[in-house]
Amino acid sequence: MSGFTISRRQMLASSALLLASTAMPTFGWAQTPKKGGRLVLAADSEPRNLNPAIVASNGVFFISSKIVETLAEASFDGKDGLAPRLALSWEGAADGLSATFKLRDGVKWHDGKPFTSADVAFSALQVWKPLQNLGRTVFKDLAAVDTPDDLTAVFKFAKPTPFQLIRNALPALSSVVPKHIYEVGKIEDNPANNAPIGTGPFKFGEYKAGQYYRLTKNTDYWGKDEPYLDEIIYQVLPDRTSAASALEAEEIQLAAFSAVPLADLDRISKVPGLKVISKGYEGLTYQLVVEINHRRKELADLKVRQAIAHAIDKDFVVKTVFLGYAATATGPVPKNDPQFYTADVPTYAFDVAKANALLDEAGYRRGADGNRFSLKLLPAPYFNETKQFGDYLRQALAAIGIDAQLVNNDSAAHIKAVYTDHAFDLAVGPPVFRGDPAISTTILVQSGIPDGVPFSNQGGYKNDALDALIAKASETLDTAARTDLYKEFQKQVAADLPLINVAEWSFISVARDTVGNIANNPRWAVSNWADTYLAG
Amino acid sequence: MSPLRRFLRKPEAVAGAILLAALVAMALSAPMLFPGDPQAIAGPALLPPFQDWSLPLGTDRLGRDVLAELFYGARTSLAVGLAAAAAALAIGSVVGTLAGFAGGLVDEVLMRITDAFQTVPGFLLALAFVSVVGPSLGIVVIAIALGTWTGPARVARAEVLSIRERDYVAGARVIGMHPLAIAFREVLPNALPPVLAMSSVIVAAAILTEAALSFLGLGDPNRATWGGMIAEGRAVLRTAPFLSIVPGIALVLTVLGVYLAGEGIVETTAVRRGLS
Repeated sequence: MSGFTISRRQMLASSALLLASTAMPTFGWAQTPKKGGRLVLAADSEPRNLNPAIVASNGVFFISSKIVETLAEASFDGKDGLAPRLALSWEGAADGLSATFKLRDGVKWHDGKPFTSADVAFSALQVWKPLQNLGRTVFKDLAAVDTPDDLTAVFKFAKPTPFQLIRNALPALSSVVPKHIYEVGKIEDNPANNAPIGTGPFKFGEYKAGQYYRLTKNTDYWGKDEPYLDEIIYQVLPDRTSAASALEAEEIQLAAFSAVPLADLDRISKVPGLKVISKGYEGLTYQLVVEINHRRKELADLKVRQAIAHAIDKDFVVKTVFLGYAATATGPVPKNDPQFYTADVPTYAFDVAKANALLDEAGYRRGADGNRFSLKLLPAPYFNETKQFGDYLRQALAAIGIDAQLVNNDSAAHIKAVYTDHAFDLAVGPPVFRGDPAISTTILVQSGIPDGVPFSNQGGYKNDALDALIAKASETLDTAARTDLYKEFQKQVAADLPLINVAEWSFISVARDTVGNIANNPRWAVSNWADTYLAG
Repeated sequence: MSPLRRFLRKPEAVAGAILLAALVAMALSAPMLFPGDPQAIAGPALLPPFQDWSLPLGTDRLGRDVLAELFYGARTSLAVGLAAAAAALAIGSVVGTLAGFAGGLVDEVLMRITDAFQTVPGFLLALAFVSVVGPSLGIVVIAIALGTWTGPARVARAEVLSIRERDYVAGARVIGMHPLAIAFREVLPNALPPVLAMSSVIVAAAILTEAALSFLGLGDPNRATWGGMIAEGRAVLRTAPFLSIVPGIALVLTVLGVYLAGEGIVETTAVRRGLS
């Protein structure tokens, strides 16, 4: 039947929207990196704009971070969790009004022109601040970038800006693009957005829509002996189930960003020559969150929100929905964050009896059909896990007499329904923690955000004390004091429950064991792979 | 020979009827056998079939009882199939009768509208309609009916064109019956049998379309559906294939049953009409 053909194809296409991928398993293996070779890996999405300075998202970084480099990269053991890339050192002034970056000498763009502080000034002022999705917030007070010499860039801020925030933003937000390419014409329409030119270890080779991206070795790279690989091929495999088969058939050597479904990992980990690696994503933590529409009178009642928090069995969610590849959450900062996380917050143990008692206390008694009230529940469609958690949450709410009706939407309709039309009571969302609460976390609970801003507080929640705390933290320059304010922030969010944090998860890589130096930094999948190699 | 006896002499028709009866029995008995929500979490996740006799067909990724979901899925499939077919036949026969009986401009307009609907593939229409309006059981029924009413409309019109020239219609005109009354009291009932003959195909197609919509995540998420079960099992196809296979088999048997039984009825009645 023709209807059936269409449906299968549609299914393949829709499943393609979900994740991305690559990874590898040989870590801590005392092998000498070998030069040469072609790494083939699975890519599940095909971003059109590959300029990471404009679109700071993991889907773009996955490919373009090998071509366009940032000032610094995340690191497991570096000072402040950073390793130098284009910048060698960085320092913030005590008054928070300036930050000085010393740049690396002898770096060349892929077209042979030298990299200088003018490129950094141009990227910061012309691209990150006005055009970048995340940079608009972090660099909003950036007034000028002075370039006293070719290797020094001094960021000047109109208002005191905590250097801790700028530092934490470096790995994701500071992709430097060449001024001489971008200064002509409109930046958004520059052809280099689709064929990026950078300073990275790999040059953009070619892109065949629906087939592959090819990156080739930059023989002029600043890193000694790097890169090791000759070529990287991103094989477009939109169907999530095909990545596992492609790995087994040795068509690809790496599938990152959980391209292999969680349910297949147990089986695939037993295949000889393949390794499952859950490290290398510490800097890309996704949070499973129940978003709440506080315009609904029942949900405006703290007791009801507490009851919902008590009704959710977080351990079950981690064990069953995430098959153990996640951690339970206590608040808005994930447990794996080394700077800000505090466990000292109110917690909500799984306790159905207590949840029922809280709802009775709040005055919502069960009706004749056993239900107290009905809610509309919108699970975000981006991940299998958010959808499955939606199914679970419906059951968890049924146990406390709340009848939740699931509403499924595609990505565009979901974003419109939740963040523009506010046509939800509860929603399941996967916000990302990006190393500093001020980048994309406080916006989830802060009031006064215009309608239509995705992944922000669109639930009508307003808490003056919390708003004041967020405002104070954003202008506190002292790192220790600022960190304490964000610990207080976690306490207040966990106490007042503007949203409910359920779990934190990241991605899994599966790789052939010939791939070396895998997962050696907290953003490995979206780092430059200069030291990645293929053995044997 | 009575129609029933003729029907019973066709083994494929009997097989179809048995499958259909089983499906109806499943649908009707679901609330008795599995009281409560079929989507409730009943046991450990991904339990294979035939391991635990309280969960004979095992559990899915959240630990929901596959057998209970299968029974409730039968309800959804049958309800959507019958409702969509009934809606399609009702719309189709009314439009066809009006067009055929009125003739002239009304006929032209109605038939061009029918053409317009026929040029869009039914599944695509359903897909577009559900994605715009949002998935729920009623919407899915309407969406399927939107793509299937044109067949009955054309058949009804053809039939009405011949019936309206008959003597009893002329007689009804002479005694002064309102034209609409003639159309719906005298003409439509006589035009119906060939239209109803299409019902089995429409029901089977509607069940498949519903399953396909659910598979794409456009079914009603608050109900157990076979298409939804297959889609959910797809993520664990390599580790727990039964999650897709079990509802898949149910779907095949149902469509086969509806089709065989429907064909059997059509053939039996056609013989009778031919003889009479």
